[in-house]
Amino acid sequence: MLRRLLSTLGAGLVLALGGLAQAAAPPRIDLTVAPAWQGWTRPGRATEIDVRLDADTASRATLDLVAGRQSVRADLDLQPGRTARLQLPIASAETLTLRVGTPDGPVLQRELRLSQSESPLLGSALASGTPLALEGFHTVALTADDLPRSASAYASVDALALDAPTLSALDRRQLVALLAHAAGCGRIVVIQADARTRGLLAGAGGCGGRALMQAGSAAEAGDQLRASLASSLPAALPTAALRELAPRDQRVWSRVATGLALYFAAATLLLVFAPGWPMLLAAALAALAAVPLLHTLRPPSQLLVWSEGESGAPVARYQAWQQFPGVVRERTRAALAPQLASFAQPCEPGQPLQFDLDPGRGQASSVAFETRLFQPVALCYAGSFPVARTVAATPLGDGGHEVHNTGAKAWPAGQWLEGPQVGDLPALAPDARAVVHPAPATPRRDAVLRRALTRTQGEGLAALWPLDLAGVAGAPVESRGWLLVSVPTP
Amino acid sequence: MSASLPARHALRLAAVAGLLLAAAVALWWLGSSRIALDRGSDASRHAAHALQALALARGMVLAVLGLRLGAVFGGRVGSLAGLGLLAPAWPVVVLAWSASTAAMAPWLLAEAGLLAGAAALALVGAGLRRAVRPATAELLATALGTLLVAALWFGRGLWAPALA
Repeated sequence: MLRRLLSTLGAGLVLALGGLAQAAAPPRIDLTVAPAWQGWTRPGRATEIDVRLDADTASRATLDLVAGRQSVRADLDLQPGRTARLQLPIASAETLTLRVGTPDGPVLQRELRLSQSESPLLGSALASGTPLALEGFHTVALTADDLPRSASAYASVDALALDAPTLSALDRRQLVALLAHAAGCGRIVVIQADARTRGLLAGAGGCGGRALMQAGSAAEAGDQLRASLASSLPAALPTAALRELAPRDQRVWSRVATGLALYFAAATLLLVFAPGWPMLLAAALAALAAVPLLHTLRPPSQLLVWSEGESGAPVARYQAWQQFPGVVRERTRAALAPQLASFAQPCEPGQPLQFDLDPGRGQASSVAFETRLFQPVALCYAGSFPVARTVAATPLGDGGHEVHNTGAKAWPAGQWLEGPQVGDLPALAPDARAVVHPAPATPRRDAVLRRALTRTQGEGLAALWPLDLAGVAGAPVESRGWLLVSVPTP
Repeated sequence: MSASLPARHALRLAAVAGLLLAAAVALWWLGSSRIALDRGSDASRHAAHALQALALARGMVLAVLGLRLGAVFGGRVGSLAGLGLLAPAWPVVVLAWSASTAAMAPWLLAEAGLLAGAAALALVGAGLRRAVRPATAELLATALGTLLVAALWFGRGLWAPALA
């Protein structure tokens, strides 16, 4: 009897332990990693890593991709039988480290080596025929799947040739990224585009459409790229120039200086009228209160957007700069404006940052970084947005211009730039006209006007408007932006 | 802090010295940080220098003042004077540390070391007062303090990197 009871208990124990072992078994994860552009990139540029994860049980996983001092993190819900696929935009580095961790299981780690080309890269995504070749370029033969899904990763290649079959094989996110790259004046030649593709690409190219070319054959595509490379496209505004547009933010410094001045004044008064313990107590209290006080006096971040386009063009390309002031030593997490987050990167390449990726949207939702007093951290953004400014200018005999809003949308008031001269441009309704008489710009002109005049080539005409950033969700309170539209000379 | 009139004057002198020293370093640090911010360069280096300057200058003044006041007025007044010398710089130390890349533990140890040093020097001064005649004690305290100042200055290559 006792023996039967013991054997029953033993069997139960074995079953229970087996069940526990089954419940505690970590999920088995299959990880596949593929870099965009067949692993080719250029030093200092951005690229993208395509990650696929398969798990045999439902589990949560955290994915960390580290490239030098930058990293991207994403939290994933893994389901059995369903492949989780994620594209991680990341700064170029010789070696990338990918770690996948689950709550119970061991950390899965992969080292990934990228080929960093010293020569300019030509991406050749031709479904038929041999890859295109250009003198001085390193050609990378690509398939549709090698093209990235984030616009920032297009920085890895200097020119791209693709044909209609490849173009039609791109998924929606790849197409959006390609069009964003085209709007940002990326050199792209499309070979044997059909009518539908031509319609899709019409007006999508930035820089007056000079960077987005169409060719009938590979040989013609090569010629077009050579001709395009022989002429320079308007370069994007350098980060330093963008930063100059922001007034120097010395609020943190002023607050620290004022706080210390008040402390020294109080300490001196105490020393004169109540020497001894009150002064020591004041010093100790001031030291304890300094850091919490700095926390409460933290100024908001600043956002600057500079955009440029051509009259009548459907898109304008922009560059933005956002500065987070440093007040204390801490790890700060800041939410990114969704409209800007598709191309976010540190303005200083050596700045350690961790982007948190939203797997649903496939782009960064927040960024974490270390701050300290007097050490602001700046993020740089780039991209394009739809715009509708069509300007016609007719010269008048007296040196002025009649400016005509030939578009379908009204303009706000702005500035009219004519060579080195500047005039006020009134708000104009569709089809309205105004006569502008610009005067030589005075030395007192502000940094924005100075930059706009620098960007307006020679005796060219341009209009400068302030951008209304109220529609940018998540933009900080202190946001300023400008749109410079070059106008064809009559 | 009930003490005789000369002792009170000595305590006030130490506090004034501490306040002036802290104000001078704060002024230099804020000025150099402002220049760095205007140029867009790294301001943390100036904060680290300010921290080291505060540690060195307070340590040097403490070496002379603590020993001498201990020898003249006794250990209690000497210790309090040391505290009065060190404390006014605490808010500057906290802010400069916030702006620097230095680790926290070495600076907490350095401040604790300075406080312990203030007490120890005052006690050594008081011991000298008991051991020898007052005039000799003052002389010995001053000589010992000067030696300590020289040791701090010439040995800064040894302790300063530990605080960086």
